[in-house]
Amino acid sequence: MTTTIAYTEEQALLRDEARRWLRERVPVETVRALIGDARGDDESVWKELGELGWLGLTIDEEHGGAGLGAVELAVIAEESGRVLLPSPLLPHWLAATAIGLGASQAQADRWLPALATGEVQAVWAHVEPNGAWRAEQTQAEWKDGTLRGEKCFVHGAPTAGLFCVPVRTGGGTRVALVPADARGVTVEREKTLDATRRQGRLHLDRVPVPEDALLERPAEEIDAALLPWGCTAFAAESAGGAAAALDMTTAYAATRKQFGKEIGAFQAIKHPLVNVLIATEHARSLVYAAATAIDEQGDDAESLARMAKAAASDAYGFAASRAIQFHGGYGFTEECDAHLYMRRALASRPAFGDPAHHRARIADALIGS
Amino acid sequence: MSDAFEELRQQVREWLAAHPPPDRDFALPQSMLSVSTDEQFDYLRDWQARVYDAGFVGSEWPAEYGGGGRPAGSQRAIDQELSRADVPYLINMVGLSWAGPIILKFGTEAQKKRYLAKLLRADEIWCQGFSEPGAGSDLASLQTAAVRDGDDYVIDGHKVWTTLGRFAHHMILLARTDPDAGKHAGISYFLSPMKVDGVQVVPLIKLTGEEGFNQIIFTQARIPSDTLLGREGQGWELAIATLNFERGASEGSAGGAGGFGAAPTEALFELARGLVRDGRPALQDPGVRDRLAAFAIEAAAIRYSGQRMRVPALCSDRPMALPLLSKVAVTEFVQRLADFGCEVQGYAGTLYAGDPAALDSGDWQKQYLNSYANTIAGGTSEIVRNVIGEKVLGLPKTR
Repeated sequence: MTTTIAYTEEQALLRDEARRWLRERVPVETVRALIGDARGDDESVWKELGELGWLGLTIDEEHGGAGLGAVELAVIAEESGRVLLPSPLLPHWLAATAIGLGASQAQADRWLPALATGEVQAVWAHVEPNGAWRAEQTQAEWKDGTLRGEKCFVHGAPTAGLFCVPVRTGGGTRVALVPADARGVTVEREKTLDATRRQGRLHLDRVPVPEDALLERPAEEIDAALLPWGCTAFAAESAGGAAAALDMTTAYAATRKQFGKEIGAFQAIKHPLVNVLIATEHARSLVYAAATAIDEQGDDAESLARMAKAAASDAYGFAASRAIQFHGGYGFTEECDAHLYMRRALASRPAFGDPAHHRARIADALIGS
Repeated sequence: MSDAFEELRQQVREWLAAHPPPDRDFALPQSMLSVSTDEQFDYLRDWQARVYDAGFVGSEWPAEYGGGGRPAGSQRAIDQELSRADVPYLINMVGLSWAGPIILKFGTEAQKKRYLAKLLRADEIWCQGFSEPGAGSDLASLQTAAVRDGDDYVIDGHKVWTTLGRFAHHMILLARTDPDAGKHAGISYFLSPMKVDGVQVVPLIKLTGEEGFNQIIFTQARIPSDTLLGREGQGWELAIATLNFERGASEGSAGGAGGFGAAPTEALFELARGLVRDGRPALQDPGVRDRLAAFAIEAAAIRYSGQRMRVPALCSDRPMALPLLSKVAVTEFVQRLADFGCEVQGYAGTLYAGDPAALDSGDWQKQYLNSYANTIAGGTSEIVRNVIGEKVLGLPKTR
């Protein structure tokens, strides 16, 4: 079965609402002001995201969520990428989705309502110090009710109340739900290339984790089911960022004059911007194909999501690079926003796999390994 | 997958199964751009007539003009089925995809009755007379003259790159009716007959070594005044409308626009599967695998952009972006793919059609050379990028 892109009127309305709210509430001045902030995201924005129902977007209604799917997630992720939203929204979604995919009824009852409101901010903490990020590669170890290990590059860690940590156990891999205030948990904030994003190193030193805090399903299964969601979320965010970087550069090229005319009249500027447009629009098409495939449980969901992530990360890097270059000397300044897009593009590139990783897996799927 | 045209698709599949293309003992060129012999032409013309008689050409056009009167989207479904079945292409492409739609949109009742049904069945073949030796990307600088004389126009001038020129019955012709009006304002648009005195067809040899396109020299050629489309001076507007059909930015083709399937990428995989590079299967080479995956991603992006184009709410930011960029995206993709198809063969890629050892009959090499037809015709990639930059991104005009 091959997926056909689907999109409803409600989803289009959600986009309008998201775009309006994010533009109004998170202008670039706010993004910049939060760079120096210890928390890194505006607590009141987080609260309002909860009130809008976006934090529990994919959580079922029984647990206080909106019960929506990957298309809605892509819509909001794309719009959040446009404004460079500084927020652990994406890792929170992925943690909630992982719990939804793997939890027992009791575990879901225990955590999901608090995640839906945002009372507890959760993150999917899956990356090992060596950069490995698939569940089967996890080194963190759970044994006899105690968890040891380390996770790095954990997006959203400094403010998180709950960590979803893939671990090895005697009998395979599981996902441990570790409250931030548990004994033996320390978070060390990392200094990040993208200063609008908060990341941390998670040290788990003999953390007591009872067996009923391990999600029921094996971590590999949860990880495999989550992969298309993660790829699609970061792809959508990147596609939105690429579109915003293109808008910014286009607006500048249409007004900045040299040699007596607007620089956008020169083909050396115009044609590469069209190439950015093509890359960005192609990425968006793949994002909506992937999101539809996830919602319709198509067997092409994984491959489309990988394609979307590869295309969107490439498009974002390209769009941001042309944004800096085409702003000339001003593009090299801190004051110009172009570098903010570049930093975000590079920060989201490895998330759930970079383009080279996905091309290798796509080749495996298409032609065998 | 829900599809409003599933029943129609089924009809096409059943018809094809019952009526496969007739056997032949000669090769057909890779596209209608390279049709050069009478037997190729006759065969393809007969094939289009069969497809038309089965009801699968002009599906969306009104029945009074020979069309099928079916709803929008039906022709695309048919074209996809034909393309999937890998049957011969429809030869009268200029007629079906741009002369026909422009006549349907701007022609008089008499013109619609006169031309449309005949082009659908390939009873009459069409060619295009836009470019001139001195007017390529700067099309509006064209100099071919049309002078009114009684009930006729007298045409003098020189057109080039005319596909099917040798076989065509009619040409969509741009000529200058008013040399004193402005560059654009003096141009008119004709549905010019080709089989009249004063029209000389001179074949050109393409870079592949094949024939297929021509120069057309008009010397005091008389054409009836009722072949004028629209009014005098409206030619530029109609030319742009034609180019929008040609670039796939406007819908309305009567057939043959099967679109972009998975075919080119799959053919490349198939080729690579049989190759050895550096003493091991090419498919074990990480560099080859990376390139193949990149092509697969781009092919999917093009395919899904074609779908997204039909979901207006997902195109609201820049509604014209996808229709206008598709020509550049598709033609440049196919070009890079064919180039890699040559490269991945290694030394075998130095052979050409005609050498018995050439892989895939040397098609990759020929296809790569031929691919430049599509990055040049209908507006070069550079001109189309100007159009996109200006119409979609809102950048100031280059000129």
